[in-house]
Amino acid sequence: MTPNRHFSRYREVIPDFPGFLAALERPLPPHVRVNRLKASPEAVTAEAAEEGVQLARSHPTDDTLLAAGGDTSPGNLTAYFLGHLHPQALTSCLAASALAPAPGAAVLDLCAAPGGKTAHAAALMENRGLIVANDLHTGRHPALAHNLARLGVLNAVITAYQAQQFPRRRRFDFVLADVPCTGEGGFRAVKGRTEPIRGPRAADLPGLQKQILVRGFDLLEPGGVLVYATCTYNPQENEAVVDHLLRRREAGVLPLDPGISSEPGLTDWEKERYDARLAETRRFYPHRVDSVGFYLARIGRTG
Amino acid sequence: MEERFGIVRAVFDDYLLFRRKHTWRILRNSPHLDEAFRYRVEAVGVKAFHQIRAFVKPTTRLVQSFGRHATKARVALSRAELAALALGEQLPLDTGLENGYVILTLSGEPLGLGLLIDGRLRSQIPKSELRFFLRA
Repeated sequence: MTPNRHFSRYREVIPDFPGFLAALERPLPPHVRVNRLKASPEAVTAEAAEEGVQLARSHPTDDTLLAAGGDTSPGNLTAYFLGHLHPQALTSCLAASALAPAPGAAVLDLCAAPGGKTAHAAALMENRGLIVANDLHTGRHPALAHNLARLGVLNAVITAYQAQQFPRRRRFDFVLADVPCTGEGGFRAVKGRTEPIRGPRAADLPGLQKQILVRGFDLLEPGGVLVYATCTYNPQENEAVVDHLLRRREAGVLPLDPGISSEPGLTDWEKERYDARLAETRRFYPHRVDSVGFYLARIGRTG
Repeated sequence: MEERFGIVRAVFDDYLLFRRKHTWRILRNSPHLDEAFRYRVEAVGVKAFHQIRAFVKPTTRLVQSFGRHATKARVALSRAELAALALGEQLPLDTGLENGYVILTLSGEPLGLGLLIDGRLRSQIPKSELRFFLRA
């Protein structure tokens, strides 16, 4: 299926749909997050400039988020080796920002590999407290461990449970459910890529995502915060999943101000009607923010 | 770390070391840890040291995280010198330091370990990581 035909199912819900399609023709710009555990934004900007890479702020209130110019590869910078920065899409960085884990807290990252968001959480926690960085796929643990070590994360342990069956032995102050998804948001029609969806299990994903979100919620302390994140536009993987939780648990949607252009979550899609509170969740589109398409919901307990 | 590099013991007061055979891993202490170990844990914190014969050698990542506290056995290098080390060369070094590990720095940033033997310095940073300096 061509990209235009694939995405045409979202024509009615994505504002300025021609602009959206045009954005998919442009390459994804390189972007980094400065790792405050090891360096300041000023120092990283100067280090990169020494190697001919210009970094510029990409977020109005978070000075650790920097866009890299042109076709540069931040992963080749000395600052990468030193763990001073991590190549990470702007919208991807908003997940840990929305979670905002406090220093000293107990945090569960249900689908942690390759560790960018885990390390971001550790930076926000100032390397204090504890992060349980869980990922079922042990084949992804080397990348996870490498990134955590490179970025100087010293408050994390790694586990390998199925996220939807993570043991209910304790509750956590903060839970991040950055779930497996179809990954439509990362699609750009460049370098010969024509297929917007990766992986063969697209039809199975909403069921798995619902199980993971419900388990994540059940592991949340009263007063805690859970963030549900995907990099897809598909309402069945986004609003429908959160709607499923709202119908089954005493959960509430918490306000979320990402500080950059975003659209409210959907309250209906095709023949489905969702809880009105879904409008508090946020959608990110590449023609509004030149980054990966993303979805975020910030959830708390009401009961 | 204190004897060779002058990193005082108090720097590590908030951390725990976990030993498994010839490897030690470091983790920030936390009141949550007791409950965390009720899970089946695959890896704890970051690999900090490994034992090579009689020597306990700090890892590159440990040096990068804690090397800034070092007060001695630091060797400042230029990018050109790092590029030479990346190519497997040894650098002559006349510092008066005893043979043993030194902390290599670039613009004050600790990079990892070097090994000084009889006035010759060679890198202990994994070759895959030294590629960053081959563009010098």
